[in-house]
Formats: sequence, structure tokens, C-alpha cells
Amino acid sequence: MLSLLQVLLSGIATGCIYGLVALSFVLIYKATETVSFMQGDLLMLGAFAALGLHLQAGLPLAAAALLAVIAVGALGAGLERAVLHRALGQPHLVAVLLTFGLGMMMRGGVASVPAAAQEVHALPFAADTLAIGPLVLAASHLWVILATVLLAALLAAFFRHTRTGLALRACSEDARVAALMGVPVARMHTLAWALGAALAAVAGLLLAPVTFVHLNMGFIALKAFPAAVLGGLTSLPGALVAGVLLGVAEALAGLALPEGVKDVVPYALLMAALLLFPQGLGVRRGGRGGV
Amino acid sequence: MRFPSVLRFFRGALLALSAAALPAAAEVVGDEIVVGTVSDLSGPIALLGVPVRDGMLMRFDELNAAGGVHGRKIRLVVEDAGYDPKRAVLAARKLVQRDRAFAFIANMGTPVVMATMPIIVDAGRLHLFPFSPHRATYEPLHPLKFQNFAPYQDYMEAATRHMLSTQGYERTCLLYQDDDYGLEVMKGVEKGLAANGRELVERTSYKRGATDLSSQIARLRAARCDFVVLATVVRETVAAMAEARKIGWEVDMLVTASGYSAQTHELGGEAVEGLYGVSVLPHPYAEGANSQLAAWIERYRARFKAEPNVWSVMGYTLADLFVRTAEATGPALTVEAFARTLEGMEFTRDYFGSPSYRFTPQDHLGNRYGRLAQIRNGRWELITDYLQ
Repeated sequence: MLSLLQVLLSGIATGCIYGLVALSFVLIYKATETVSFMQGDLLMLGAFAALGLHLQAGLPLAAAALLAVIAVGALGAGLERAVLHRALGQPHLVAVLLTFGLGMMMRGGVASVPAAAQEVHALPFAADTLAIGPLVLAASHLWVILATVLLAALLAAFFRHTRTGLALRACSEDARVAALMGVPVARMHTLAWALGAALAAVAGLLLAPVTFVHLNMGFIALKAFPAAVLGGLTSLPGALVAGVLLGVAEALAGLALPEGVKDVVPYALLMAALLLFPQGLGVRRGGRGGV
Repeated sequence: MRFPSVLRFFRGALLALSAAALPAAAEVVGDEIVVGTVSDLSGPIALLGVPVRDGMLMRFDELNAAGGVHGRKIRLVVEDAGYDPKRAVLAARKLVQRDRAFAFIANMGTPVVMATMPIIVDAGRLHLFPFSPHRATYEPLHPLKFQNFAPYQDYMEAATRHMLSTQGYERTCLLYQDDDYGLEVMKGVEKGLAANGRELVERTSYKRGATDLSSQIARLRAARCDFVVLATVVRETVAAMAEARKIGWEVDMLVTASGYSAQTHELGGEAVEGLYGVSVLPHPYAEGANSQLAAWIERYRARFKAEPNVWSVMGYTLADLFVRTAEATGPALTVEAFARTLEGMEFTRDYFGSPSYRFTPQDHLGNRYGRLAQIRNGRWELITDYLQ
């Protein structure tokens, strides 16, 4: 029972990271109808940026982390302005290949720094544990869960209660009508990319104490994408919940099911969900899903 | 349209013929020996490639400064294939045809080695000590293929046997990466257990790049293992130990030579104290080094502005084996003569604490053994000699 709880918590923490990356997919997809294949690379870039700022530039960790998230967000906005907006109105494949290529360039860029390519790094987060009775929790896992809840609340408030958030939602619902109503659609697209990139960077920072910082940490996006699809691709809460669900399912399957099955579970779950709820879990029947 | 394609065919055929007719560089003429290496300086195992290259460079430079082998200088030509077999094939061809490499040392990574080995031996060049645990690098016996990395299966069998006989473990379990590496280790551990009349109590795997090992560790704990063998690399080794210690499980763990790295205790800190590991070559710690090793570390630092690690030592050692064999071969250096000389060579233990490497006409694998080490006070301490 205890080990079940223990594994459950780890699963939730891992799932939160899946969920955050899925959230960044969905945010971009909803606003710009572009599937971004560079979220994993943005995540990796965010973690390395924080590492570089902390270790090389000597900034305190919190400042380095904040600056890294802002920098990656700015990069997202810059890329949208420079290249990605050209993919609008083109077939989906254009944006897919474009983001894929940009992601490879980011990997190449980081790999060209010898220290980054050759070593695994640790961000000096607290590696403490917290004991609640017989239950022992890793501080890093608690951080992940806490940060995710906080981010979700912030995002919800942003979309509900601010004019910009409302405008972004309007864009996602119907860009043309939004434009007619005076919403600056192009600027909203830039904002969506900036937010999506920043979210990925946050996920990278949260992942850092769990798996360390290394060139291939972005592969986690391979799990986050199913989470986004499971959530319906257009629902932000759906993506987050689906991410957590995948993380938990994976963790519990590893504990309880025969050896080897756990790797199949996320994808089996995805298939079942697509068969039973073709619109995704987070989408209301007949609607496009809330924020 | 048909005519040019026929032409192209003939031109291709002609090129192929002329390439085949090129004399294999079986003999070294002039005052230079070219050694090629298809390395990984930018890909997933660049953390091995760079120090190995530096170690080799250092040995060859020292030799050249001292006048070379029988008056000949050795020139190391490094090509970066980034663990990509396609790039590796191009690099190997370039080294064979343009650089006329006499021998290849320390080609990096199994996919690279598998793709380039036929090109190299078909061109009549030596294929020495590749970084691949694959049996094809020394079996079946081939006059040009030599290997000196102990296979996972052999040394893990010996390590498991030793751990069981000294510590009396009753429930051995395995956490493994689900690829060739993990399976090779599993075979070795199972053999070692069978020698003690036991079997694996539980085994559980992870995919390369897995983020969290908590379910695997919980599973092993539920199986009441008292000894866990890890077929992991650095990151997962640390994650496994940290997870077990976090949940208060003080089980003994043993990792393969892939986890025997200074990075393991640098990243893992307190959590990896007490971890056992197999070492096929000791890490060159500056603290407590013998005088020769200390001088070597100084030279390495001065030259590369970096701390040497076990891979730097490996590169240096491989280059040294080459140099000593070339010296023993004599002034008339041919591929054939070099290979036959190497078959009679025995390299005794040196100041790095390496095993002795021995090649015979029947056996081109120079070493099969590893020794046990344990992390104590934040560094690996060797606790046994090489286990037969």
C-alpha cells in the first residue's frame, strides 16, 4: 500500500511534466493551428539556459531560472515573427517540418558547446526528501506538482480575467471574427508562441532535478504529444489532466503489470481513448472545449 | 536518356575496378605512420569520444617528440561520425583512400563499428580495439581484428559470482536497459547466479532516456531483493540509487563498467555512497595517485585544460599498445607483420592499474576481466583485483 502511494506520487510528478509540455503543444495549436515539433528542444534549451546562466554567469539559481524562461519565451516570439508566421495558411506539413528543423538547429547549437554535449549536468536544486509518517517524498517531485498547480491557476486566471487572455481565446475560437472585433490576431499569435515556448522551458527546469540536464532530455515530448492528443488537442485542462493520467498509468503499470507491459500502456490508453472518445477527453460534446 | 545512364554505369564500374586495383597500404613507406579513428565528437557518446581522442593524441605526440618508432612519426587522423553509420562509412572510406591509414584504433559505437569494419578489413587495414562490445570485433578469428574491451557477459558473470560468494546474497534482482546492452548483462548475471545454483528473483527494465525509475525500484523492493544488479548508464545509476535511498531501502547495488564513472558520484553525491561497480580500468584520481600517474595527470591537464577521466586513460593506453607493438615489429612495418607481432604480445600491468592485455594467434580478445570498486567518501575505491 505504501509503495503504491509512493509510486503514485512519482507518477503524478512525471505526469505533471508531460502535462506541462502537452499544455504548450495545445496552447500553440489552439491559437495558430500549428503543430509544433520543437517543444522538446525548447524544453532542453530552457534547462541549459538556466544552467549556463547559473554556472557560467554566476546568477543566483532563481534569477537564472526566471531569466531562462523569459529568454526562451522571447525566442519563441522571435521565431514566430521571423519564420513561423509564414507557415500560416500553408498545409500542416509545412509547420511540422519547419518546427522540426528549428528544433534540430537548437540541438545542434547546444551540442556545439563541448561541455553541454559531453556531460550530464545537475542543477543544484535541493535533493532533499520530506517524510510524512512512513511516506517519503522527494522534494523535487513536490516542487513539480506545486509548480504545475500554480502555473495552471495562473494560466486559468490569465485566460479568464485579463483582456489579453480573452483576446487570445477569441483568436483560438475564430480568428476571423476576432480580427473583425478588433483583436490584433498577429500579435496574439506571437504571444501564443512566446507562452508555449516559455511553458516548455518551465517544464525543462522542473525536469532538471528528476533526470538531470542533458542533450536528449527533450525526448520527453514523445510522451507529451500523446497526452495532448488524449486531451483533445484543443483543451488546456484536458492536456494537463491527460498528462497526469499518462504519468500515473505508466508508473502503476510498471509496478503491477508483468515486465515489459508498462511501455505499451500509454499508447494502448491513447488508442482506447481515440476509439471511445474520438474528440478527446477534455472536449465537451459538440463544443470546442474550454480553456 | 538511356545513353548517359549506360555511360554512368561504365564510369561507376571503372571507378570500382580501379579502387579494387589500388594496392592495399600493406606496407609503411616513408617516415610517417597514419593511424585513423572514426570517433564521436558531437553525438550521443561524445563524452567518450573526446577524452579517448585526447588520450591517443597525447601518447602519439610524446612518441613523436622522442623521435618516433624506428624513425617514423605517427600521425593520428580523427574523423567525427557522431554515432551515425552513414557518416562513419564516408569517414572510413576517406581514411582508407585519401589518408592511407595503416590502422584504425578506437572507432566509436557499435553501429559505427558494424558499418565500417568490413570496409576497413577488406582494404587490408588493421581494425584495433573498437569501442563496441560486439563479439564480431574479435570472433570469428580474423587476421586484422583485435579487441581489448572485456565483454559485459564475461566480467558480469565473474562479478556476480564474487559478490554472491563474499556477501551471501540470496535474492538477486536486475534493473536493465531494454536493449542489447541490458540483455548481455542479463546473460552474464544469470550465468553467475547459475554457478551458485540460483536464479534472478526479479528483473525489470527501462527505456533509454526514461525519466523516473520509481516504479521499477518499488517493484524490486516488493520482490524483497537483497542485491540489485544495474545494467544502467550514469544517469539511471544515480536515479536508481537515489530512489532506493529516498524510500529508505538500503539494498546493495552493483553497476557495470558503464556506470563506473566519476560523474556517477559527482551527480549522485550522498545517494550513491556504497554503490558497487565493475571497473575495467581505474579512474585516474589525482589525490593519492602514484608518482608516475600524478605526472601523467599533470601533463594531461596542461595539454588539454581538462581533468582526465577513465576514457582519457583508455585512449592513452590504446595508443600505447599500438606504439609498443609497432616498436616490437621492427623497421620493416607491414600490416601482416604488425598483426603477427601483436598476436605474440603480452602487456603487463602499468601505473594506471590496467589489467594485463594478452593476445595470441588463437585469441584476439586482449582482456576478459574487470575488478570490483565501491563508492566510499565520494570516490571510487578499488576493492578487489581483476576477477578471473
